[in-house]
Amino acid sequence: MIDINYYLLTSAVLFSIGVAGVLIRRNAIVIFMCIELMLNSINLTLVAFSAFLGSISGQIFVFIVMTVAAAEAAVGLAIVIALFRNKESVNIDEINILKW
Amino acid sequence: MEFKLETFLFFFLAVSSIISAIMMITRKSPISSALFLILNFFTVSGLYLLLKAQFIAVIQVLVYMGAIMVLFLFVIMLLNLQDKSKFKEKYSYKKITSLLLSILLFCILSFTLYFGFTGKFKAMSDAAGDLGKAETLGAELFTAFSFPFELASFLLLAAIVGAVVLAKKKFN
Amino acid sequence: MNTEALILFFIVGLAMVGGGIIISTILAPKSKNPVKEETYECGIPTQGASWLQYKIGYYLFAIIFLIFDVEIIFMVPWAVVMKDYGFTAFVEIIIFLMIVALGLIYAYKKKVLRWD
Repeated sequence: MIDINYYLLTSAVLFSIGVAGVLIRRNAIVIFMCIELMLNSINLTLVAFSAFLGSISGQIFVFIVMTVAAAEAAVGLAIVIALFRNKESVNIDEINILKW
Repeated sequence: MEFKLETFLFFFLAVSSIISAIMMITRKSPISSALFLILNFFTVSGLYLLLKAQFIAVIQVLVYMGAIMVLFLFVIMLLNLQDKSKFKEKYSYKKITSLLLSILLFCILSFTLYFGFTGKFKAMSDAAGDLGKAETLGAELFTAFSFPFELASFLLLAAIVGAVVLAKKKFN
Repeated sequence: MNTEALILFFIVGLAMVGGGIIISTILAPKSKNPVKEETYECGIPTQGASWLQYKIGYYLFAIIFLIFDVEIIFMVPWAVVMKDYGFTAFVEIIIFLMIVALGLIYAYKKKVLRWD
């Protein structure tokens, strides 16, 4: 029997890797992928709690999170395409017009 | 310690998901990053199966691996990013600081999550086997969660409209 | 349901495929020369890069596919519990479908679906 701690620890590791990726990488598409990774690790936490508490709500949340992830990917990648069309680059260091 | 299939599977899946996540953020080419992310989603879907959430595991494969990652690969191919000079990533004190910060975040998260729940749950709930079925999910989704369900459709509508407005604008 | 058996099935399946590839790379005789590396070994030489840019119209089709894929995962639990909840669930899914269909109508009006 796997204790819930191990699932939560796995999820914490995945979340931290996602955060590290967002901070370190400069490619906008890879940053998006890291955000998907973080959403996924949160889903793992929710499913683990749902199974151990015997409550279905966690899985409903996962459902909604997946919908949000799909909508976010569609709009976010469209933003990346629009950026690329204007700047010919997806490196976020070069996208600095709003930076003071 | 006696050998248990579940324990072996858990450690296999957890370790391979962590390795694939690390590979994902360290690859230079966005294509191989995307492929490692698909591997990571696959192993996480295996973890869902271990938690007896079959339906969630299936829609993980369908939505994340089947649709979202296709979109990502599509955009990588669409933007034609073969010019390597655009992706030169240099190592600097900023990156080392961000790495240290994420390690600190990991320490905080793991301390809270790992020690906060030690001994709270003796075993997986008996109802867990039934919870993963589509029947249980549907029954809850169409009664208690019917309002979020309707709101999700607005989210999808906003996604279509937003993506069309952003991407279609004078593309030829 | 025995989920461990299912996961083991997947792992063994992956190991069979991966093991075949690994063993064949170890055992197979290798000979490398520039002619062998070409796409068409005994055909005409290829020209240019194979990584060419797509039309953006494909992306909009992919988005519409993604949205309706998510819609289908909402419809599967509905189809399973439809008998128990009857008319209420039916009205809920109709409202849901109507709202998402507005997006399709918008895309149609914007001529996203037209291929030219």
